[in-house]
Amino acid sequence: MARLAKFITWPLAWKVPLLVAGLMVGIAAMISQVVLSRLASDQESNLRLLTNAYLDGLSAAVLQPVLRTDVWETFDALDRARSHYSGVDTLYVLVELPDGRVLAASDPGRFPVQSDVPAGLTQHFSPTDDLVIDSFDGRAWLSRTLRTEGFSVGRILSEIDISELLRVRREVFLTLILVNGALTVAFAVIGYLALKRMLQPLGVLTKYVERVREGRAEPIPEPNRRKISREFAQLFERFNAMASAVNERESLATHLAEQEKYAVLGKLASGMAHEVNNPLGGLFNALDTLRRYGDDSKVRASTLDLLKRGLTHIRNVVRSTLVIYRREESKRSVGAADIDDLRLLIEPEAVRRNIKLEWINDVQGRLPVSAGSVRQATLNLLLNACTATPARGVVQLRATASAEYLKIEIGDQGSGMSAALIEYLVADAPVGFPASDGLGLWIVRRLVADERGAIRVVREQDFNTIVQVIWPYREEYRSQCDEDAAPAEDVVNA
Amino acid sequence: MPQSRKWRQRAEPFAVCRRRAIAGLAAAVLAPWTFSSPARAANSVVSFGVNPLFLDSDIQLLSLILVYLAKQLDRPVQLVRRRTYQEITAMLLSGQLDAAWICDDPYVQHKDQFALLAVPLYRGDPLYQTYVIVNEASKAQSFDDAKGSVHAFSDPDSTSGYLVTRYLLAVRHTTPAEFFRDFFFTYGHRNVVRAVAAGLAQSGSIDGYVWDVMNEREPDLTRKTRVIYRSERLGFPPIVGLEATRDAGLAQALSAAFIAMPSDPLGQGILKILELDGFTHATPDLYHATLEKWLVVKAQV
Repeated sequence: MARLAKFITWPLAWKVPLLVAGLMVGIAAMISQVVLSRLASDQESNLRLLTNAYLDGLSAAVLQPVLRTDVWETFDALDRARSHYSGVDTLYVLVELPDGRVLAASDPGRFPVQSDVPAGLTQHFSPTDDLVIDSFDGRAWLSRTLRTEGFSVGRILSEIDISELLRVRREVFLTLILVNGALTVAFAVIGYLALKRMLQPLGVLTKYVERVREGRAEPIPEPNRRKISREFAQLFERFNAMASAVNERESLATHLAEQEKYAVLGKLASGMAHEVNNPLGGLFNALDTLRRYGDDSKVRASTLDLLKRGLTHIRNVVRSTLVIYRREESKRSVGAADIDDLRLLIEPEAVRRNIKLEWINDVQGRLPVSAGSVRQATLNLLLNACTATPARGVVQLRATASAEYLKIEIGDQGSGMSAALIEYLVADAPVGFPASDGLGLWIVRRLVADERGAIRVVREQDFNTIVQVIWPYREEYRSQCDEDAAPAEDVVNA
Repeated sequence: MPQSRKWRQRAEPFAVCRRRAIAGLAAAVLAPWTFSSPARAANSVVSFGVNPLFLDSDIQLLSLILVYLAKQLDRPVQLVRRRTYQEITAMLLSGQLDAAWICDDPYVQHKDQFALLAVPLYRGDPLYQTYVIVNEASKAQSFDDAKGSVHAFSDPDSTSGYLVTRYLLAVRHTTPAEFFRDFFFTYGHRNVVRAVAAGLAQSGSIDGYVWDVMNEREPDLTRKTRVIYRSERLGFPPIVGLEATRDAGLAQALSAAFIAMPSDPLGQGILKILELDGFTHATPDLYHATLEKWLVVKAQV
């Protein structure tokens, strides 16, 4: 069964010629069997007719000499019969008397006159004078009881060589094998070539479908659409129409993603303005307080402390904004600081929603993974986690690095992700868009796919949903790992 | 087949005669073994008996003899063939035949009733020998070594094919049944050679003239046999008629026809096939040795 299942998965260009060859072999074997069987039957029938004619003539010739026990006349008849019946290749023929002795034989040296017929010889002959055939050794034994007035007066025993018949049979068999074998191979080759030619458009289609899976929906070019069957022509037209639709949708989605990005940025900017504006009132109040009561050291100290806290808050907000607006360096490798920066971005949202952030970042140094992709995908997942988690809930980020990949897990205490969303995220080649309000998860899925990563969604005791993103290390970032030196910090400090 | 081819080759120098012979053969087919000239159709047919001397069967030779005799006698001739010497002898004695070519044994048995018309000349003399042959695989070197073998005789009335061997046994005070393990008759000298060559019999009694001729024409067959005994020279089987008609015109004409054979082209062809030199007149004394042997055997029986 396993082999059959494996055979089913073979290409049609192999399977069909093999099936044709198999059928040809089966048919050839069946025809050969029928032909050989018929040939053997005809040969046996002809042999019976021939030997019967031989025995009829011989018994008529020897009956009277046998009645007279005339050795010479019997021998003469047997001897002459050898040349008269050239169609019967006699090895020997003898006349056995009723007492088991040889009256005369065609080979007197082997069967002397008056000697006993060897016991080993008589066992070959049928008691009922039927023809006995040994196809293996190419021998046949025939006998005829000589009767007169109802009494047996002797018996003709003869062994004949039928190897010529078997040789003919073997030649026919070999001819059948050769002809059928040649035809089978020829038909298999012709079938293979014809099918390969017929299935060529399928190969083209497969190649372009594979490109769709890789994210490139390219229409099949005109040269590939020539000289193909009508069915494939229609299929190619529909594929090209589908590719155009996919490209249009892709373009639209990219546009929407840009808009989504700006919407998110606007939302973050609004939040940032709010976060900056809130302490500004207090800071101005603090300045007034300093102007009025700056002489009082206690008041001055507390006011300056207030100013510092307000300015620190503003600095944090500004830093996060810088992170968002920083020009993406898609080819830059990710570092621990890149991940920690995200906390600055998400923290205002977490505070606003009264959600506790647990941040576990075990990453050391830089890793050969795209920093931009990791940050954007992780930020989107964090925003989703914050949205899903109720007030006073916990959102957790855990970043760990192994020898082969970076793993980032985002856990939330929301009601759990829908099965459709989970299926969309974990599928190898998701089609369309996720059943969610925004494009966040779609962007996450694309970024992860571009970096040949994988997504898993699990559930643990403290978190209803944990999205695990595996970012495999890639060679193109490995060379930068040593060169990059905490760029995030540099940018922030700048 | 080789035998027929060889005999045809020997007959080719006599092409003219052969045409006549074939004409005779055609006539023989219409009326078996008779040949008659249309001008003499009213004359009575001459009946001439022949035995299978060494011929197994040769229609061409018989037709030549038929044509030759018809021409010489200027009368229709009928050749009568029988399987055994006894049958021919009986027919001759009963007057059914005008003459016959018989063996010397029947002649000595009935020499008072038979008249010698002609005797063949073989190698210049009207004599021949009896051979006892064995299969080439046999270790026998003399006649006595053939004891215990299966023996092939030619004919009970044949001198060379039976009488001489029977005589050899009689002088040893034994019989074929005692001396040989088994024996049988083949009714033809050539058949004796075939039987011994094939191993059907381990030994056989045969006319020496026949074996010699066969040794030239069919060496593949005679090579499988070996002569272990040669008798003294005996009178050759004669052509005889009834003593009562010795002086009749037909007997004289038949005698003259055989005597004249070497001088006739057709006759020469016949002699060439038979490998004989011709025919001669002879007296009963020629068969004295044969008679002695027959008497010895007769005395034992």
